[in-house]
Amino acid sequence: MVQLGRVLRAVPGRARVVIRLAMRGCTNRPMLLLVAAHNWRARDGPFLEQLGCCDPMPNSHGEKVVGINMERLRHWLGTGACVSRPAEKLLGLAGFFPLHPMTITGAERLRKARAAEAARASEASAGPKEDAEE
Amino acid sequence: MVGGLRRGLWGRRGLSQATGSEAEAEAGEREARNTPDVSKPRFTDEAVQSLLYKMTGLNLEKIFRPLKQKCKPATYKTMTDAQLEEATEKAIEEAKNKLKMPPVLSEREPINDVLAEDRLLEGTETVKYVFTDLTYSTPHRERFIVVREPSGVLRKASWEERDRMIQIFFPREGRKVIPPPMFKEKNLVQVLHQDRHEDILNLCISQFEPDSADYIRVHHQIYDDIDKTAKYDLLRSTRHFGGMVWYLVNKKTTDGLLMDMIQRDLLDDATSLISLYHMVHPECQSAKEAKEQELHGVDLIKVFIKTESQKEGYIELALQAYQETLTNSEAS
Repeated sequence: MVQLGRVLRAVPGRARVVIRLAMRGCTNRPMLLLVAAHNWRARDGPFLEQLGCCDPMPNSHGEKVVGINMERLRHWLGTGACVSRPAEKLLGLAGFFPLHPMTITGAERLRKARAAEAARASEASAGPKEDAEE
Repeated sequence: MVGGLRRGLWGRRGLSQATGSEAEAEAGEREARNTPDVSKPRFTDEAVQSLLYKMTGLNLEKIFRPLKQKCKPATYKTMTDAQLEEATEKAIEEAKNKLKMPPVLSEREPINDVLAEDRLLEGTETVKYVFTDLTYSTPHRERFIVVREPSGVLRKASWEERDRMIQIFFPREGRKVIPPPMFKEKNLVQVLHQDRHEDILNLCISQFEPDSADYIRVHHQIYDDIDKTAKYDLLRSTRHFGGMVWYLVNKKTTDGLLMDMIQRDLLDDATSLISLYHMVHPECQSAKEAKEQELHGVDLIKVFIKTESQKEGYIELALQAYQETLTNSEAS
């Protein structure tokens, strides 16, 4: 049974600490922060603690740089924080959590869509050739 | 001594206990492989270090030459003779600190560890993700840095990726995220033409980790250039001299250095160089002869020249010239 900390008794019932991604940066240059914040705060508003950052734009070596403070993350998870879906997916990719089911489902859907498109493309190219032969 | 050296260079989050115990295990292994009497001397042995330190010399003028610093008005002090002596002693202590030799390690093994193979993720991403653990208290060598490739494979990051990520999140002064193109082979030649060996060695030490391939390559290239052009004096009284001597001794190309020492009338340094050579290569002929006949000084050098060196003639001439000048100065 998870014990809700003293800070959460201030806003009873719906209050939660959530680990989620907050968007920072400026026009045409996003930056994501992995943040432990209250549920009812604005996405980019005041948070309890920053746990890391994620750069969604690839750098000159073709990599997306992500930094996560594991020790503090474990602390917040230990005190009963929830994790938002994008943050769960990111941590799944990192190997800290198991892979999120939607990541796997998304990959399968993408593969099916690509296969269907390839099939349609080959049919379309086969169709006009048959007409041409006839 | 070694622990202090490492902590001083890399801060408190430097080499971890894991690598320390690794080094001990390696040394133990090595000793087990060799016979109990003979173990290969390493760079960090007391005897080796003392010989290298003696050869480095202590030219206070060169060590404390004016560095490029912020402009400050000069301070003048009036001192008695005793106070001046004290100040010189303090200066010598500081000079010894400045002459602490940077570590000489063997190249690090590449990391090829795969943590997970999730091939079903193939095709979802076009770029790789590099995840770094930002826990403040872990030593950098133990930090978890993993890479999720676009093929879905989760692997540990290579040494270059590790160095880059650690520099991004925990920047160190004097180090750049991407190493400057100055350290490439053809660009180094330009720098060495300007006789700036010491400067680029200092930059190399601050930029690269001591066991990285780049560090070792740059150092070897600089030492080879010095050996080729006989510019040994550039590194004398600096902390790089010991490393250079160690490299040349291991490579068995000590002729140029020996000749330079004789020409500058540094006979003691020449004898310590030869004794270091015998320590590192005890199976060579001159070492056996020296041990049998217990040679010292000029005789030791003569035996060494006959058996080990390639440029026998030159060094013998130089030695003769030195002895002549010695007898002349004694006569006059």
